[in-house]
Amino acid sequence: MKLYIFEVMKNYSNKIALIYVFILMFVALLVHTVSLTYYNTTSDNIAPSYYIKDLIFIIISAIILKIILDRNNERNKSVFEKLKITNNEIIESNERYDIVAKATSDTIWDWKIEDDSFIWNKGIQGVFGYKKEAIGKTSKWWFDRIHPEDSLKMSVKLYSFLEQKTEKWQDEYRFQCADGSYKYVLDRGFLVKDKEGKPIRMIGAIQDVTKQKSEEQRLRLLETVITQTKDAVMITDIDTSENVIPNIIFVNSAFTNMTGYEAEDVIGKSPVILFGKKSDILELDKLTTAIQEYEECILETISYKKNGDEFWVNLSMLPVTNKDGEHSHWISIQRDVSEEKEKEREREHLIRELTQNNKDLKQFSYITSHNLRAPLSNLTGLLNLIDDMTVEDPELKEIINGFSKSTHLLNETINDLVKVVIIKDNPSIQKEKVLIKEIFENVFNQLSFLISLNKPILKIDLEEVTILNINKSYLESIFLNLLTNSIKYKEPTRQLRVTISSKVVSDNLILTFKDNGIGIDLVRNKDKIFGLYQRFHNHPDSKGLGLYLVKSQVEAMAGTISVISTVGKGTTFTIIFKNN
Amino acid sequence: MLDKIFCVDDDSITLMLCKKVIERSLFAKEILTAQNGEDAIQYFNDLAEKYKLDKTTSYPKLTLLDLNMPVMNGWEFLDIYSELGYPKIFKDAKFIVLSSTIDPQDVNKTKNYSVVIDFLSKPITKEMLENLKNKFL
Repeated sequence: MKLYIFEVMKNYSNKIALIYVFILMFVALLVHTVSLTYYNTTSDNIAPSYYIKDLIFIIISAIILKIILDRNNERNKSVFEKLKITNNEIIESNERYDIVAKATSDTIWDWKIEDDSFIWNKGIQGVFGYKKEAIGKTSKWWFDRIHPEDSLKMSVKLYSFLEQKTEKWQDEYRFQCADGSYKYVLDRGFLVKDKEGKPIRMIGAIQDVTKQKSEEQRLRLLETVITQTKDAVMITDIDTSENVIPNIIFVNSAFTNMTGYEAEDVIGKSPVILFGKKSDILELDKLTTAIQEYEECILETISYKKNGDEFWVNLSMLPVTNKDGEHSHWISIQRDVSEEKEKEREREHLIRELTQNNKDLKQFSYITSHNLRAPLSNLTGLLNLIDDMTVEDPELKEIINGFSKSTHLLNETINDLVKVVIIKDNPSIQKEKVLIKEIFENVFNQLSFLISLNKPILKIDLEEVTILNINKSYLESIFLNLLTNSIKYKEPTRQLRVTISSKVVSDNLILTFKDNGIGIDLVRNKDKIFGLYQRFHNHPDSKGLGLYLVKSQVEAMAGTISVISTVGKGTTFTIIFKNN
Repeated sequence: MLDKIFCVDDDSITLMLCKKVIERSLFAKEILTAQNGEDAIQYFNDLAEKYKLDKTTSYPKLTLLDLNMPVMNGWEFLDIYSELGYPKIFKDAKFIVLSSTIDPQDVNKTKNYSVVIDFLSKPITKEMLENLKNKFL
């Protein structure tokens, strides 16, 4: 279009020159005609020379005119050429601006400071969700959308820039979106000044950095794990060409606290410097193998601090991969476990000692009881022999009687002690399914003589089928002891009543054993009731073993036993077994 | 009634008791004794020599064996007795452990020896022997 103008202009200079020639020639002709008419001169001799003169004059002036026109044209043309280039540049620049504005996703604002008019590009709609009509046209609208916590700091920086105290302006603040939420933005601006250097316009580009900001915050949080943790953290590369354990590229401050090595002491060196002559070679082998295989590894070994002090370290090495899944680093977490190691050693020592003591005691109790039993069985055997013989001498008979009674009592005591030794020695006793009813039948059979002698009222209230996973002989012994006790310690003035009941409550089997006997003074004897050789009544057969045995047997089957008793009223034992 | 019974115990009173009880209950005609496992092995060695020459040589069909003895205890005796192959020679010879031990492991251990038919607690009584008679004779 512009080119066309230039073409037209070029043709015009010729046309104008031609028209000029025609008009002048017409005028010249007219003048000549008029002058001939009015002055009536003889035109024959004058006319041709005048015509030629005028014609020459007209042509010369036309040529001059054309030259002037052409030159003018030339000048115009170069001006237009320049304009054309500038115009193109502006178009290109505009296109480029449009493309950049689209590509950057930056929100661009343009603030004419003098009349406070504020224009936003489309980013304010796309990024922050504002509708076109909701967008304000002054700087106030902008300021109003800056988070109150950021606005003061931000405006101080901005005004100091506007007063040209600072060279550059860029700031991070939170900018409110249409939905009321805030986005972290990075705003960068520059000033346009007039001839006097007074700022007239400011243009800024807002970048949404919410994602970067939250990622940054997340990374900072993650970083605190490494920097704040009490465990030493070490990161190495994966290059094993120099050392079997790759070189350190990072250590945290806990590492320095633990080893005494500053970061600069160890970075670029292999963790091998931590190990020394007392370090466990097998553990280190494990580590080098794991590194070769890119496998996780945990080890414990003696290590050395910078000052040469020994300490026990618990060290884990974990291979980590980059986002392409390639093995990139090793991460090692380390902890000083010297104290734990020391405690562990003490504990082990103690356990060994206790185990040995226990073994010795067990051996001792077996031997003692054996050595006691051997001569005692002889005594019993010999007394059995005497039983068959008739002794005439009444005094000798009395002596032998006493001898026999003492021997039997001693035998019983030793047998009871033997039972205790066996219970204590076998915490994991054999368990079987047992019908409680059957056990009672056995117990009553064994005590038939005592029962017929004392005629107690026995009330037995057992839930229909009570099967226990329990040791049969223990349970028998428990009932036997409790029932014998009830009979032994009955109130002589009233008939003995014994109530035995069993019930299942949730997962527990609860056995209660209640009598109306003389009772035990629990205020005085609470701690002693289940003790070994504790007797509460002056009874000839009392040895102080029964309840101790009962408790030992209940506990050997992982049960509990408790007692309630009132002197003169009676005693109730409650036994609870886990029924699983 | 057995022809021969063999009692092995280091305790002379126990041996005396055994003799008396066995005599009174008419359990065996002849009662042989030894003080420990070594003596008992010696006895079986001698017997084996004789037995080689004369297959009709009589040997004790029952031995009451104590466990806790000096020089050679009951277990060692049973091991050596088996090693020497006597269970095959004296086919009818059986053993009863008669001990005052209370170690439940000892009771279980007797089950490992096929020649041992029972484990009895001291002292020996007439009732015990009556039971054995019913089982054994």
